[in-house]
Amino acid sequence: MSLQAPLRPGTTATGSVRSVDADRTAGRRGERSNWPVTILLVLCTLSVLVPLYVTVTMAFKTTSQAVDGNAFSLPAPFSVDGFVQAWQLTDFPRAFGVSVLVAAITVVGTILLASFTAYAIARNWDRRLFRWSFFYLLAAMFLPFPVLALSQVKLTGLAGLDNPFGVAILHVMFQLSFSVLLFTAFLRSIPAELEESARIDGASTGQVFWRLVFPLLAPMSATVGIFAFLASWNDFVMPSLITSDPALQTLPVLQQMFQTQFSNNYNVSFASYLMAMAPAIIVYLVTQRWVMAGVTQGAIK
Amino acid sequence: MQAHATTRSASGVTRRGFLLGAGGIGAGLALAGCAPLGGSSSRPETITFYVSKPEVIGYFDDVIAKFHDSQRAIRVVRDSTSNMSANFVRNRPPDLGCLNYNYAMVSFVEHGALTDLSDLPEKDTINPDLWPLMQQTADYPGRTSVLPYSVTAASVIYDKALFAQQGIEVPTTWSAFTDVCERLVRAGITPMYGTYKDNWTIAQGMFDYSVGGMLDVPATFAALDREGTSVGKGSAVSFEEDFAAPVGRMVDLLQWHQAGAASRGYGDGNLAFAQGKAAMYLQGPWALGEIAKTNPDADLGTFPFPATDDAADNKVRVNVDLGLWIPEASRKQEAAREFLSFLMSPEINDRYNADNNGFGVRKDSPPVSNPALRGMQDSYDDARFYLGASQLIPAEIPVANYLQSIAFGGAPAPQLRTLDGDWARLALRSAA
Amino acid sequence: MATTTTESITTAHRRRRGGAAPRLQAGSRSRRRVDPLFLVFLVPTLVLFTLAITLPAAMGIVLSFTNSVGFGEFRFTGLTNYVAVFSDPAILQAYLFTIGFSLVTVIVVNAIAFLLAIALTSKIRGKIALRGVFVLPMVISGIVIAYVFSFLFANSLPAFATALGFAPLEQSILANPDLAWLAIVVVTAWQAIPSTLLIYIAGVLSIPGEVYEAAALDGASAWRQLVSITAPLTAGYILINLVIGFKNFLNSYDIIVGLTDGGPGTSTTSVAMSIFKGFSGGDYAYQMANATIFFVIAVVIAVIQLRATRGKAAL
Repeated sequence: MSLQAPLRPGTTATGSVRSVDADRTAGRRGERSNWPVTILLVLCTLSVLVPLYVTVTMAFKTTSQAVDGNAFSLPAPFSVDGFVQAWQLTDFPRAFGVSVLVAAITVVGTILLASFTAYAIARNWDRRLFRWSFFYLLAAMFLPFPVLALSQVKLTGLAGLDNPFGVAILHVMFQLSFSVLLFTAFLRSIPAELEESARIDGASTGQVFWRLVFPLLAPMSATVGIFAFLASWNDFVMPSLITSDPALQTLPVLQQMFQTQFSNNYNVSFASYLMAMAPAIIVYLVTQRWVMAGVTQGAIK
Repeated sequence: MQAHATTRSASGVTRRGFLLGAGGIGAGLALAGCAPLGGSSSRPETITFYVSKPEVIGYFDDVIAKFHDSQRAIRVVRDSTSNMSANFVRNRPPDLGCLNYNYAMVSFVEHGALTDLSDLPEKDTINPDLWPLMQQTADYPGRTSVLPYSVTAASVIYDKALFAQQGIEVPTTWSAFTDVCERLVRAGITPMYGTYKDNWTIAQGMFDYSVGGMLDVPATFAALDREGTSVGKGSAVSFEEDFAAPVGRMVDLLQWHQAGAASRGYGDGNLAFAQGKAAMYLQGPWALGEIAKTNPDADLGTFPFPATDDAADNKVRVNVDLGLWIPEASRKQEAAREFLSFLMSPEINDRYNADNNGFGVRKDSPPVSNPALRGMQDSYDDARFYLGASQLIPAEIPVANYLQSIAFGGAPAPQLRTLDGDWARLALRSAA
Repeated sequence: MATTTTESITTAHRRRRGGAAPRLQAGSRSRRRVDPLFLVFLVPTLVLFTLAITLPAAMGIVLSFTNSVGFGEFRFTGLTNYVAVFSDPAILQAYLFTIGFSLVTVIVVNAIAFLLAIALTSKIRGKIALRGVFVLPMVISGIVIAYVFSFLFANSLPAFATALGFAPLEQSILANPDLAWLAIVVVTAWQAIPSTLLIYIAGVLSIPGEVYEAAALDGASAWRQLVSITAPLTAGYILINLVIGFKNFLNSYDIIVGLTDGGPGTSTTSVAMSIFKGFSGGDYAYQMANATIFFVIAVVIAVIQLRATRGKAAL
């Protein structure tokens, strides 16, 4: 098999799109969309939409209908009681705010620290310190949480970090290994020649990183960001252990009250989860656009 | 209504089990604090009061408000979300705890982390029959670490309408019980509704009732503790030998449950029973609220499960649903004690039990208020009760899973032998 | 334009190395002096990481050699807990189940996610909407998943099977000690595919379009392109997903508790479940020993995975 790489300068027919992602070109160039695959995918979406349907309908049911054992029935009567109760019982605005704060710190912290570390490791692979740091971080990823848990409680208590900030810092640390792994893999596809030519032009390492490499990392930053966001947003074990002041608790911890072993309140708990899910979906859609934009922008550079 | 043996005590499906070093985890409302009143000459003392049972949080908020109205010196702040293990690890536990008194409390009690409450006047008002129960679960010699606040009793819930319709009387012996089941079967009615998918319902139902009705629970478990690492075939007491009869009784019950019980869960059971699909339901009072969600007008009653042919053996399963304690690490013990006294005052305490299907803990407590539970009042008054065996087996041993194997048709003997092996191993590593 | 030249250089790079990804170091020069900025990038993070993760882990591992209950005084007991772990048949069974289940699930998840990534980055309609839908399982709470799938397995699937006359599934699969693990694989895969998918999408998107165009010009079929271009160039991501995925499935807890609570009996009890189950005070140190052993095993398996794929995708 021989690959003739197009060596001619100038854009390719697809407008220098750096990927096979033909979002902007499907239809425009008159290229046929792949209908069999599209239809297959739509069928696959059923596996996701059916559970979602059950969740949404349950959230709008009354308490008595919620326990009637018909997961697929439509709400009758239609009731927002679940949402009202969930809102009141969790003091939703406050819990939501705390969760947003923790997640925001986690996302920003993870992307920054992980990209710094990954860049340093990737560009100094020949030095022991950096290589071993990589494997150190990787190995720590396999530590089961129970081993760490109570010791972290003790340490955060001593350091005065038994609050959402401590939770956010720990979230960043837990995401670090995986994010560094992703960034280093992605950095492989950024050729060293780019940086070399920038350095020859007189740029310092810092400038090379901020002006050149970091923007190119955008698609992976978005991916790392969405993972960090979801890990932080849905986490309930760690905040319930670390945060000592109940007024500063995150949403997932407070949502636990609805579903006890002895009492089913599906309509309230599902309403609560729906309200919590919405931001996560929005963040995902936003980051996916960023992935698209980052990809095409990176190509044009 | 809260936490019994299983690690899933306060929540259905998540990692809370692991956090259950404390028995009351991350379920609860945000702080319902009351701001200290301004303008008073001395700052009021603020104490933390931990209660996480979701159904009664609102109730306790009202009680706290009453307490604030009655005096100015102490402010109570309710905590329902902090993790108890973490609190003790940080050495900042709540000033007054109000939790289910089960194995989760054992490590706190036995490590002397809780203060002695025996000098409180309230202690003498407690029904003396309850103290042996407390000691079976956990004990620190020379101390009264926990005062019981509310006791729940569980036995057989039956559909009065169905019984009346079939002209059936409440059975008081095992033979009478089997007759009742046979009659129901002939009439085309399912005698009991099974929910084997949720293994805790087997453990806290059929198993506990059979064991409690046929064995001397405290003596058996004390002997098992003494046996320790040598428990097994041939030892003075063992699961394999001593529990064979009660588990055999449990196996006898299986035939009178509906087919397909293996795929039915607690929610399915509540629904079906509310719809009149079975005559009896081996569940505790917590199910009554669930059943009422579907059928608030259900006419239900309870009677102690007759495990033997001697009616004098009929007992009910009890557990201390809420118990009060003050930790050594609290710096506000005086204030906490004042609030404790307030909570234990008859009006407050009795009102709680009346509203929440609980049995009174004091010598002069009134009888249970819910008519459905009156069938158990006599047994309770005569102290014919026992702690559920499944609660006395430490959570490290997944007894509910073993019982599920039996309910699914497996042979009992291997499971009991496994129990012996687990018990011996646990004794070995606890003794180290 | 610089881009195309760059891409062509990259492709030439890749051709030179016969399809393997470029090494991580910056070109072939070796630097004598490390730019101090790199140390600033690395060291503070390492220090923070050590304080937040390694130090607590070390403390926890030390406690596994004691009889601690998590708080209060404790005594050193040496290897007692470890000996106890190795002589506990329940723990052995949990390990066997967990490893077997993880193996099956990681293969299922990666096969499906890889194909989905290809599909979702090809020329299809409604790409944004479809990608949005497929990420939903990652966003939905575990309790919801447990409820919905419990219902589906206990009610809908048997009804389906009865209508079709397919006997093995007429009883709830969750009540079948031999088949319950399949249900857990399905639900775990359902929840794990989105994150795996995201990584594969990012990986596929990092392949320059020109490579495919050139291949198409040469007459390579879609399947050929998949096997000879996409797979090798995303090999690093495949490896990441296999290693991370396997580790995640080894730690399965929420879904198993929600669907079967380790049942029927103890047939689907995972290691994470036995660790958490025994965490209520008395067995703390014992389960720390179990968790430490678990850590070692997980690392060993990961190292085996890395060694086995050494030639194809060096990290």
